[in-house]
Amino acid sequence: MTTATHAPGETTGCPAHAGRDDRKSAKVAEANLAPAPGSRVIGSFAAGRDILRSPKVRQAGASADVVDLSHPDEISFFFLDGDLHRKRRAAVAGLFAPKTIVTRHQRVMNRTMDAIVADLQARGSAPLDELSWQMAVDVAADIVGLTDSDTNANLARRVKKVLEASVARKPGRLNALVFNAKMLVHVGAFWKHDLLPAIEARRKQPRDDVISHMVKENYSKKGMIMECLSYGGAGMMTTREFIVMAAWHLFEKAALRERYLTGGQDDQFAILEEILRLDPVASMLHRRAAEPVEGVLADGETACISIREANVDEAITGPCPFQLDPDRARRMKVAGPYMSFGDGPHRCPGAQVALHETRIFLDRLLRLPGVKLVSEPEVLWNPQIQGYELRGAVVACDRG
Amino acid sequence: MVAITFVAVDGLEQRIDATDGLSLMENAVAGGIDAIEAICGGNAYCGTCRVHVDPAWRAVTGEITEIEEPMIEASGDTDPGVRLSCQITVTPELEGLLVRTPASQS
Ligand code: HEM
Ligand code: FES
Repeated sequence: MTTATHAPGETTGCPAHAGRDDRKSAKVAEANLAPAPGSRVIGSFAAGRDILRSPKVRQAGASADVVDLSHPDEISFFFLDGDLHRKRRAAVAGLFAPKTIVTRHQRVMNRTMDAIVADLQARGSAPLDELSWQMAVDVAADIVGLTDSDTNANLARRVKKVLEASVARKPGRLNALVFNAKMLVHVGAFWKHDLLPAIEARRKQPRDDVISHMVKENYSKKGMIMECLSYGGAGMMTTREFIVMAAWHLFEKAALRERYLTGGQDDQFAILEEILRLDPVASMLHRRAAEPVEGVLADGETACISIREANVDEAITGPCPFQLDPDRARRMKVAGPYMSFGDGPHRCPGAQVALHETRIFLDRLLRLPGVKLVSEPEVLWNPQIQGYELRGAVVACDRG
Repeated sequence: MVAITFVAVDGLEQRIDATDGLSLMENAVAGGIDAIEAICGGNAYCGTCRVHVDPAWRAVTGEITEIEEPMIEASGDTDPGVRLSCQITVTPELEGLLVRTPASQS
């Protein structure tokens, strides 16, 4: 049913890539993508998957290369590999299981959406990334255990300040000093108002969340802050952008929106996954070969696996890879998000959480009386995380 | 090709000709076994590719591996033959294998 998303008069000419290109972030990515110096870009889906699944590779890239691995208890499991990484991930696996999403996280998603809808209907209009940020923060905060803050809006604000400060570092000594000072203030506020109250509450009454696990395992203060920030960066910032991207596609394409609102949940997921394939939030992943990986990487070589290229590799997408076709993955018998959540031992544990919260957010938003996108977002580039940022989108609905 | 039979909860039997060297999950998806959802694409991190290995075959397919444990535990599936099919590699020894699929993968 590829025709469902075609606007009248649009060309469907393919192959030869001369046909429709539904990607919204490709241009900005092409102009700005910066693979780590000295790395070899891998664009083939199969080769990328082989590398990411190989036990012979290690995390690499800008931030991984400056992490001190001699204190594993002070760093996020994002930077670890091998047995220790597997154990740290296994300890929190239950939090991301499909059953947990249905029985626990969906409640948080619906509750947050109730608040978002009430707020939007009272105001009449709001910046879309502000609403998606609230959803992303609430859901990830519940998984992490950041549930003892004064208000969720304040938690969201403080997390945003820390994350923005941590990725807004400009080179230069003075800038580094200013950065460190600012960062300390923001981290201090986050520690005092959000993390410490949560730790104290978990010491008295452990729950099923990341902080309870860290308390049980006696993580250092630094270790706990780093882990929380990893979840913030990996889970909150990514989902905020994805929700806005998916909303933009759906507001723009009436037939696709209709299908989203009338199809079942499986169809909704297929649509969202296909949007994420075309406009992946994360663009590349770096891995260094600790030993040669047969046929793909030499000893010590660093690979930059291009998620954007892998996601449009015709060997796995079939023809017309730049066209939005929600039936593609089912037809090709592959997992819908393609490489958008990575692959192998580091594959995003929050993938299903992100898809569920986006599905609920958009299902509720798009059904609101009078809902419309009054201003489209501008596609910006965040060089630190090497991903797009959508700013300036405003949604409006009838006041209720 | 290795003949493998999947039995659904309603008793429906589906036989596939599996490719040696690929995982049981990949073969099931390619063979149109709808009960194998495999939403994480074979990374042992979703538990939606679970199968219950027939008692007669458990010694051949082997025990749950360490990497499978967290997601099997989280699924609450306590069948004695439960395995993640993405972690079973199809070999000629599996010729004639019979597995059942659970009522729900979530
Ligand atoms: C659309 C939203 C999201 C996208 C596109 C995304 C993407 C990714 C990708 C590509 C990776 C792999 C990194 C690598 O291999 O180096 C990853 C890892 C990770 N993600 Fe996500 N993610 C999203 C949402 C989430 C959510 C909601 C959470 C948690 C609540 C989360 C938590 C994590 C964590 C903890 C890791 C590190 C895993 C590890 O290193 O083992 N992500 N994510
Ligand atoms: S495919 Fe996800 S656990 Fe096997």
